[in-house]
Amino acid sequence: MPFGLLKYGLSRRYPAERDFPWPTELKRSYDVVIIGGGGHGVAAAYYLARDYGITNVAVIEKGYLAGGNTARNTAIIRSNYLTPEGVRFYDESLSLYKDLSNDFGYNIMYSERGHFTLAHTDAAIRTSRWRAEVNKHLGVDSELIFTDEIRRLCPSMNLSEDVRYPVLGALYHPPGAIARHDAVAWGYAKGAMMRGVEIHTHTEATGILIENGRLKGVETDRGTVYCNKAMQAVAGSSSLVAKLAGFRLPIRTIPLQACVSVPLKPFLDQIVVSGSLHIYISQTPRGELVMGGSTDPYALYSSRSTLDFKEGLLGHMLELFPFLDNVTVLRQWAGMADMTPDFSPVMGLTPVENYYIDSGWGTWGFKATPVCGKRMAETVATGKVPDILEPFRLDRFVDFAQVGEKGAASVGH
Amino acid sequence: MTGMNRLPAPAGSLLDRGKTIAFQFEGRRYEGFAGDTIASALAANDVWILSRSFKYHRPRGILTMAGLDANTLVQIGDEPNVLADRRAISAGLIVEGQNYSGSLEHDSETWIEMFGRFLPPGFYYKAFYRPKGAWKFWEPFIRKRAGLGKVNTAAHHGYYDKEYLFADVAVIGGGPAGLAAALQAADAGAEVIVIDDGARLGGSLTYARFDSNGRSGPALAEEATQAVAARANIRVLSGAVCTGHFADNWFAVIRGNRLYKLRAKASVIATGALEQPAVFRNNDLPGVMLGSAAQRLIKYYGVRPGRAAVIVTANADGYAIAVDLAAAGVAVNAIVDLRPDVPPSPHVTAAQQLDLRIIKGSAVIEAIPTLGKRGIAGALVSPLGDDGMPDPAAESIPCDLLCMSVGYAPLAHLLHHVGAEFAYNSRTHMSDPASLPAHLFAAGSVAGAHNLDAVVAEGRRAGWAAAHDAGFAASAEPPEPIDRGGLHQTHPWPIFPHKRGKDFVDFDEDLQVKDLVHGAADGYDDIELLKRYTTVGMGPSQGKHSAVAAVRILAKEMGRDVGSMTVTTQRPPFIPEKFGHMAGRVFEPERRTAMHHRHIELGARFMSAGLWWRPAYYGTPADRETAIPDEVLNVRSNVGLIDVSTLGGLDVRGPDAAEFLNRMYSFTYTKLTVGRSRYVLMTDLSGAVMDDGVACRFHDEHFYVTATTGGVDGVYRTMLFWNAQWRLNVDVANVTAAYAGVNIAGPRSREVLQKLCADIDLSPTAFPYLGVRLATVAGVPCRLLRVGFVGELGYEIHMPAHFGEHVWDAIMEAGKPLGIRPFGVEAQRVLRLEKGHIIIGQDTDGLTHPYEADMAWAIAKSKPFFIGQRSIEIQNAKGLTRKLVGFTLADASAPPPEECHLVVRGPDIVGRVTSAVRSPALDKVVGLAYVAPDQAEPGKSFDIKVEGGRLIQATVIPIPFYDPENKRQEM
Amino acid sequence: MKILNCPLNGLRNISEFVWGGEVKPMPDPGAGSDRDWGAHVFLENNTAGVVREWWCHVPTSFWFIAERNTVTDEIIRTYPAGELFRERVEFAARPKAGEGTR
Repeated sequence: MPFGLLKYGLSRRYPAERDFPWPTELKRSYDVVIIGGGGHGVAAAYYLARDYGITNVAVIEKGYLAGGNTARNTAIIRSNYLTPEGVRFYDESLSLYKDLSNDFGYNIMYSERGHFTLAHTDAAIRTSRWRAEVNKHLGVDSELIFTDEIRRLCPSMNLSEDVRYPVLGALYHPPGAIARHDAVAWGYAKGAMMRGVEIHTHTEATGILIENGRLKGVETDRGTVYCNKAMQAVAGSSSLVAKLAGFRLPIRTIPLQACVSVPLKPFLDQIVVSGSLHIYISQTPRGELVMGGSTDPYALYSSRSTLDFKEGLLGHMLELFPFLDNVTVLRQWAGMADMTPDFSPVMGLTPVENYYIDSGWGTWGFKATPVCGKRMAETVATGKVPDILEPFRLDRFVDFAQVGEKGAASVGH
Repeated sequence: MTGMNRLPAPAGSLLDRGKTIAFQFEGRRYEGFAGDTIASALAANDVWILSRSFKYHRPRGILTMAGLDANTLVQIGDEPNVLADRRAISAGLIVEGQNYSGSLEHDSETWIEMFGRFLPPGFYYKAFYRPKGAWKFWEPFIRKRAGLGKVNTAAHHGYYDKEYLFADVAVIGGGPAGLAAALQAADAGAEVIVIDDGARLGGSLTYARFDSNGRSGPALAEEATQAVAARANIRVLSGAVCTGHFADNWFAVIRGNRLYKLRAKASVIATGALEQPAVFRNNDLPGVMLGSAAQRLIKYYGVRPGRAAVIVTANADGYAIAVDLAAAGVAVNAIVDLRPDVPPSPHVTAAQQLDLRIIKGSAVIEAIPTLGKRGIAGALVSPLGDDGMPDPAAESIPCDLLCMSVGYAPLAHLLHHVGAEFAYNSRTHMSDPASLPAHLFAAGSVAGAHNLDAVVAEGRRAGWAAAHDAGFAASAEPPEPIDRGGLHQTHPWPIFPHKRGKDFVDFDEDLQVKDLVHGAADGYDDIELLKRYTTVGMGPSQGKHSAVAAVRILAKEMGRDVGSMTVTTQRPPFIPEKFGHMAGRVFEPERRTAMHHRHIELGARFMSAGLWWRPAYYGTPADRETAIPDEVLNVRSNVGLIDVSTLGGLDVRGPDAAEFLNRMYSFTYTKLTVGRSRYVLMTDLSGAVMDDGVACRFHDEHFYVTATTGGVDGVYRTMLFWNAQWRLNVDVANVTAAYAGVNIAGPRSREVLQKLCADIDLSPTAFPYLGVRLATVAGVPCRLLRVGFVGELGYEIHMPAHFGEHVWDAIMEAGKPLGIRPFGVEAQRVLRLEKGHIIIGQDTDGLTHPYEADMAWAIAKSKPFFIGQRSIEIQNAKGLTRKLVGFTLADASAPPPEECHLVVRGPDIVGRVTSAVRSPALDKVVGLAYVAPDQAEPGKSFDIKVEGGRLIQATVIPIPFYDPENKRQEM
Repeated sequence: MKILNCPLNGLRNISEFVWGGEVKPMPDPGAGSDRDWGAHVFLENNTAGVVREWWCHVPTSFWFIAERNTVTDEIIRTYPAGELFRERVEFAARPKAGEGTR
């Protein structure tokens, strides 16, 4: 038994230190206001406080702490992207992730599992090789492998040729990992609050105060808050908050559904994704199978679930893992994904001076949480966009300089 | 012998005592009757431990007897997590317990419970991470301990299917409210479907006690069942569980191995309410169960649920249960009522008449375990003080059955699924629906009606309203009930934390009161955070028994009113549904060309192209390396035939046809003469290349436009999308499936075709390159296209699809003396690459614009508009960042690089190889690659990073590689 | 499964349809700045509330307009595209390179 648990059993009183301090009043002004108390928002607050000593920060969140897409995502972490810009960015995220538990003093259960992106067509084989080559060139561990190797690594997968879409090969990414998604946000929140950051949940931004093109403050349903700088990190509502600040985004908000099975004894170590079948699956430490597919077919600001999602997903799942037919779905849910035309995020400056944006995360925001928090904190603190974020600027669209990740992210989990 | 605990009829209404069934549980043989579930048959045989709990490996048994808890999850062969209180026994069934080491009876891992104090809520967040990487060590242990059932990875996919159902009015729940609703709606003329999860209709009427002699429930059920059966417009699905409710009255219903998808115009949710457990020490041991579970055991299965009982209650139902137990021969040692004052009720009177001991204003604070903790030996009963706290002085009352009947929570899942809102009713201490979406109605105890008269009256009203909503003008609206009931039914605080714990709130997750208290103390004091942190309600029963208690405990800790707490949303499914049910038979569409069987006869190896199957090459995989070059050379030197039926074909007709193509594609078509064809290149609004093909003008107002196999549906849809706005006088038809097509290619192709086609002059002057004709080939009217993807003299022949095989046969026959051979997609790719033709999607990506692909020649410069025009101009004006070039390798003997090997310059990735092959005709490697613009001139060299990270040098050479003057295709 | 009322085919499951995004009028492609054009191509209103959007019934390839609430997913009205697009659209001949103001 680890030593860390002894104090809970041996002390007479339950350790009374809260992970999050008791709520305080919302002040009239802060140095920085972060709109959105999800993983990204609290991570940015954490790095602002830890790395830049900026602690007079309020994170405002309309729901409960990290209750948006952070709570709904399927917790997959990888850096096997297609563009060099994407690979560098997510690779930095991965290295930060590996240290998070010890940074926080809070176990996020970061677990390297290995990540397969299956290829069922020769076109998918080509894309897999492209990604593998770009990854390797940038020092990221990825390889195009074929069925013999897949069978050795993941013997339970159906590699028969007698199916509609036989597996031809896979992009194999050994560092692919899962983590406990809530814990990531909680760890950041705990670390940020410990350093003086305030997190105000159930507080909604209702307006952005701008004077002469410059940010003045944020209006909330609990009153106006003045600030020097503000940042929005509100996946699923990015266009709505940007609209408060008077600009439009290259984003369509589209639900992304997922489901989870009743817990089973461990049988699947890897994370398996199939772009052709539009599915992905991994098994959590609790034994649940976490599964999802591609985004819904149309825009919607709602986290309602559909039956057709499950029918399609599990039909394809049984092609890959036919023995799961007696396993049961425990729960299904949905998040709202901000889809961009090039499947890359939008980060950095906005048309409003001192107002920064962190958006366009589509279906892959969780894996970027540490790097995005860190680099957005740098952007907010210094007013300068670091090189690693520069390709993801909002202006890239009107400048026709997209960062094309479609090949890596269509079922990109 | 089917069990020492079996009661005589009339108990056991679901049993067929004429049929004995033997099965195995944990390696021992048992017998039950037809109609028994696994749990009831075992209970009849005095077997009460069904499973071991998730965390502490505590023994667990029957809780609800309604298939709504995780205590009864067992393993049947390859099937994990089967509900033993829902699954019927069958001959030879082999059932095992789950989650234990050793045996279910003697689990060697119960020691973990001793360490419970070291495992606070979220304990895994607090430890296992130091030093860095420690989790890698700990995780396998935790993973191994977690999880319930086992899967057999060698098992095969069983049979499941699906059926659609349609109704004017769907009624979910066949209890008193649902049946009243169904009858009312049917009488209004609606087609009604009733979904009920019981074996027989009637719901609580069939097991609960509604009057002093217990006869009115079954009588009412019988009467309603007969009335339903008498109506032709009511269909009943019994034994069917509605697991999900989705937009527009779309229901998932599971029965047997079938998923029913039910669509209704309006629906009535009448799913009732679920009894909630009381919280006290050892409330999880076998022998402690809901009062309604004991009633179900008796009434449905004829099983005596114990020998001596204590009932803890806070409503009249507890007294009804006592009477039922007494009638079943169970010694009722005490009725412990949490209420100091007990309002009069026929059930209370009946219990009093039986001289049962009633202890008012008291609570069971602990179930006393038997030696070995596999069941209970008694209940510790304490009087409650004015503050509601139990007095430490407790009386021990012996019992082996402890029934909990302290209140209910509505089974409102199907209302939650579609976004209904709820409000806490501080009078009844239950939530009532506050607003329902359109076309949706609710009745009975799910909707806040709790006495039988009110339930039936509200059922009628909901049935009337649903029929009315579905368009059935009905008689006058039935009257509202006078009293909806619900008072003194649900206790607001049936929770008695014990200082030594084991007072379980969540049985699935082994969570005790202190776990929730500590979770809140850790700062997770929002119900959603508490749920995620402690995992309360996250287990297989999804909070059906724990959500209410968790909210009460948190409200108390926070000093808040329960009514002010947000309720966590219930998401589908209502109970776990099998992957097999969701998947059904799995229909994956596929398309085959008219000549598919000829390809099989010719030994083709197929590849998938969109939904189509196309011959990749002819021969076995072992022959691949020689088959493809042989096919290539036969085309170059002789004549070959390829099936191109999968290519898209669009007929564009009308006075504006040419103008329309001008707008859709980058070239100009207004001046294209009839009988000629021209390349088409489609870009999207951002200027990215989307598709290509040729436009063939057969008439001033008729173009036949081809598109790629994978692209045609999108092209067609895009065309119609734009013309929905432009309103040009043009009609577009997707005729892909109407035409089969072949390409006969090679220097001797004219010779072959001449044998079959007499009605047009095939000479190069009469029918030149890029010409198109309507002609008869082998007696079939065809569209003939002199186009040359492969760079030889050739004809594409498009014929009505049902003549595809005939024309194929005729050409093969006519070409036989000349040595004609079929060729596949692989050879075609080599041939086109030798000519430097690009394949959209392989040599372009989602962002490629035409200038990058070196297709400036395909852009008309002076048109008013085409779709990507402005965006392409903007990007071209900015200057290129990459360009597609042809290349060969400096080392003539080197193998070709793989497609997608990178073009690098120092540390930078400047491009990639998109196509590469050793050309059989040129005997050197040729390929296409994106390079930096300053590397794009012929003669320049660049580096390709190949296998193993080696760099090889490539040289830019002009395209086409083969026959640069294009003489061969123009012969 | 939601139901969508196709103006051509009546009530059908929404799985038979393809969504085409919000209706956004195209500015004169020959006028305006490059950035304005880029904004038209890439930026979205992404409205939360009632929007007017394109849908296509796939089996019949019929494009039409739906007014739908993107928060509640309620479909308020569907109608043929001809109700919005009544006139034949013409594109003016473009100034030769160098003559424009862009």
